[in-house]
Amino acid sequence: MAAPALSVAAIGKSYGRNRVLDEVSFEVMPGETAALLGENGAGKSTLAKIIAGSIGQDEGELTVAGERVRFANPREALDHGVAFIPQELVYVPRLTVAENICLGRARSRLGFTSPGGILRQARADADALGFDLPLRETMDSIPLVQQQLVEILKAFARQSRVVLLDEPTAALESEDSDHLLGLTAQLAARGVAVVYISHRIDEVFRSCDTVHVLRGGSLVQSQAIAETTPREVISSMLGRPADEVVVPKRQTGPTPNALVVNGWNRAEAPVLDDVSFTVEKGEIVGLYGVRGAGPETIAETLGGLHPGTTGGTEVLGSPIGDLGSPIQAQRAGIAYVPADRKSQGLVLLNSITHALSLPTLSRLTRFGWIRAALERRTASDLAQRTRVRSQSLAQPVGELSGGNQQKVLVGSRLAADAGVLVLHEPTRGVDVGARLEIHRLLRELADQGAAELLVTSDIEEAVILSDRLLIMRQGRIVHEISKPGLGSQSEALQHAGGTQ
Amino acid sequence: MTSTISPTGGTETKAAPPSVPSRIRGALGASGSQFIILVVFLVAIWLVFASLDGRFGTGNNMLTIISVSSVIGLVSLGQALTVISGGFDLSVSGVVPLGGILYAILTNDGWPLLPALLAVIVVGSVAGLVNGIIITRFRINPMIATLGMLSITSGLALTLSNGLQIPFDDIDAGVLAARTFLNVNNHVWLLLVLSVVLFVVLRYTSYGRRIYAVGGNREAARLAGVRVNAITASVYVLCSAFAALAGVVLASQLLTGSGTAGIDSNLQSITAVILGGAALTGGVGGVPGTLIGVLILGVLSNGMAILHVPSFYQTIATGVVLLLAVGLSQLRVLRRRKK
Repeated sequence: MAAPALSVAAIGKSYGRNRVLDEVSFEVMPGETAALLGENGAGKSTLAKIIAGSIGQDEGELTVAGERVRFANPREALDHGVAFIPQELVYVPRLTVAENICLGRARSRLGFTSPGGILRQARADADALGFDLPLRETMDSIPLVQQQLVEILKAFARQSRVVLLDEPTAALESEDSDHLLGLTAQLAARGVAVVYISHRIDEVFRSCDTVHVLRGGSLVQSQAIAETTPREVISSMLGRPADEVVVPKRQTGPTPNALVVNGWNRAEAPVLDDVSFTVEKGEIVGLYGVRGAGPETIAETLGGLHPGTTGGTEVLGSPIGDLGSPIQAQRAGIAYVPADRKSQGLVLLNSITHALSLPTLSRLTRFGWIRAALERRTASDLAQRTRVRSQSLAQPVGELSGGNQQKVLVGSRLAADAGVLVLHEPTRGVDVGARLEIHRLLRELADQGAAELLVTSDIEEAVILSDRLLIMRQGRIVHEISKPGLGSQSEALQHAGGTQ
Repeated sequence: MTSTISPTGGTETKAAPPSVPSRIRGALGASGSQFIILVVFLVAIWLVFASLDGRFGTGNNMLTIISVSSVIGLVSLGQALTVISGGFDLSVSGVVPLGGILYAILTNDGWPLLPALLAVIVVGSVAGLVNGIIITRFRINPMIATLGMLSITSGLALTLSNGLQIPFDDIDAGVLAARTFLNVNNHVWLLLVLSVVLFVVLRYTSYGRRIYAVGGNREAARLAGVRVNAITASVYVLCSAFAALAGVVLASQLLTGSGTAGIDSNLQSITAVILGGAALTGGVGGVPGTLIGVLILGVLSNGMAILHVPSFYQTIATGVVLLLAVGLSQLRVLRRRKK
C-alpha cells in the first residue's frame, strides 16, 4: 500500500488557555477526496492553516508523501506540494486568466515573457484537466466559479500533492458548485489528495470519499463516506442525537388554501409561463429550479418586487389586486423574507430591537411616537422565538454571526403575523447548527398554521423541509414531488434540468 | 461569540434588557465614545484659546460664539437629516441668502413679520420639495440635484436683489436676532427649541427611526415596507425649510438682506454634521453631535479672530479639523473591522 499523501498525527494547538485542536489524527491517500467538516469554531480553519504552513502546531506531526515536515511558512508548504485555496481568492485582477495561471513560473527570455508562450502554457495546463477557461479575459471579468477553477489549475500545474479547498462553494449557486466539484474530481483522478473544507453536507456526500468531523477541536468522526449517512454526520457535527437533527414533516391532513396563485405570466425577462399553484395553511411548499427558471421570480413577485407580473392571486380566501410594491404585498398579508440579508434584508447598523421592529413599526407607534416598552417586549419575544443569540438586544445586527443575522431577519417578518410566509433562501451562508434551528422554527410556524412558500437553490433544503416540492423549468412548473425526502434529490435535479 | 447547544435540544437565549451603560451610550447617539471624544476635543480647543487670550474665555464671548454659530446651527440641523438619510444638500447655500432677501423684500413691502417669515419658509420648502422629487422620482444623485438647485436659488436671490444689499426699512423686522429673552437672543432660543424638537423626533418617533433605516440600507428599508421615497423627499423639504429660516435669522442679525450672505453654509453645515459623528454613507448621526460640531467650528473661528489670525488661515484650520475628526473615526471603524 502506498504512503498517504498527507498524514496528520495527534496535532494539538492552544491559544492561551483556549484549546482549539486536540489530538487530531487522520490520513488522506493520493487520489482521495477527504471532507473536513465542523461548525464555526470547531477548529477546521486552524487545522487547515497548520497543514498549509501559515501557523505552527504545538504538538503532533505532519507527514507529506512519507516525509515528516514542519512548515515555517506557506512558501515551504507549497514547495512540499501542499496548496491551500482560501475562500478569499488571491489573484492579480487586471492580468489575464492565462497570465494568472502562469504567474511566477512563466519562462522568460532576457527578462521578457512572451504572451504567446504564456497562452500556450496555460492552454496546455487547462487541457490536461479538461477545464474550459476564457484564457484571454482579465481575471476580474470572469465569474467566481471560474476564478476558483484558475486557482485549482494553478495548484495542479505546480504539481501539488495535497490541495486544500476552504469552503469553495459557499458563495456559489448549486449549478456552479456542481461544476466546480466535478472538475475537482479531475484533480483526484490524477492522484492528488484533496481536502475539502465545507459545511454543505449534500456536496460532501456527492463528491468525497472520506469524511472527518471536528467538534470543539477534537476529531469526533472519521469514516468512509459509504459507511455513514448525512444524518449521522450532522449529528456528530452538532453533538446531538440523530433523531434531533431531522425536521419533521407536516402531521395534519388537508386544510384550506392560504395562498392561491392562478395563471401568473410575465412576458419580459424573467419569464413566467402560466404558473398556478396553491399553499395550504400549515403547509410548506418548496419551489426549486435552476437560476432563471422562475422560483426566485415568484418569490420576488410575492414580495412586491416585480410589478410586471400578471395573473390572479388569493391570500386567505380573498383575491388581492396588485402586488406592485413591498407595502402592497405586506397589506395583502404576505411576509417576504428576502434572499440577501445584507443588501436587502437588514439595516446592519440597527440594534437587534430596531431591526426586529422595523417592518411593523406602525403597529408599535401611537401618534407617531414609538411605544418603547411595547417595542422592547415585542422584540424580546421575537428574539426568543427565533433563538437569536446575542450579548443584548441593543447589539448592532452587523456584529452578529450570519446565522443570528438570518434569525433576526426571519423574526422581523414574523411580527406582522401574516398568513403567508415567503422564504427566499432562508439559510444561505448560515452554518449547520443555525440552519437546523431555522428549519425547526419554520416547521413550528407551519404547525401553528402559517402557509410557507420556500424558494431555495439548496436542493437538500428543498427536499428535507418541503411537504410538497414543485420543480420549475423555463418559467413553468414542470413536476411535483408530493412527499419529498433526502432520496428525492436526483428526481428534483433531473426535472429541473440542471444535472442529469 | 460562543454558544452552547445542550444535548436536550434546548438553546439558551440571552435577551436581557440593555444594560445601563449601553443605554447611556445609546442616548448619546450611534457611537457614544465618539461623542465623548468630540466633547473632549471641544473643551481642549476651548482651553487652548482661553490660555492664549484672556478675552476669549469671558461669558460675553461665549454668548457671542453661540449667537454667531446659530445660523450655521440651524442649517446644520436640517443638513443632519439629509446626511442621516444617506444624502446631502448643497443647495442650502442658495436657500439661505434667498431666505434673507425675500424676508427683507416682504417686510419692506409692509408684510407683517409672521406671515413674511412663514412665506419665506414655504418658498424654502418648495425648493426642498423640488430637490426631493428630482432625487427620488428621477433617481438623480443628490450631489447633482442639489447643485442645480444651489445655482437656481442663489441666482434667484441675486436677481431679486439686483445684486444689491437690501437694508430693513423697519428695524423691528430684526426681532429674531435683536430681541432677547432672559438675556439670550431670540434666535439662540429658536435654535435650542428646534434642536430639542428634532432630537425627540429622531429618537422617539417612527418618522425618525425610518430616516435612519433609509440611510442605513435603502433597499432593506423599502422591503420592510418603509416609504423610502416619501421619507427621502421629506428630509430635503425640512432641510431647505431650516435653511430658509437660517437666512431670515442671518438677515435679522445684519438688518439687511444680502444675496451673498451665507454662501458658505453648505460646506460649513456638512462639516459640522460629519464632525458630529455622521457618515456620508448614511444611517448614523444625530442632533447632539451636530451641535458639538457646530460649536467646534464656532470656537475655532471666534478664537482665531480674537488672536487676529487672518481669515484665510481659519479656512485652512477648518479643513484640518474636519480631516482629523473624520480620520480618527475612520481609524476606529477600521480597527473594529479587524477585530
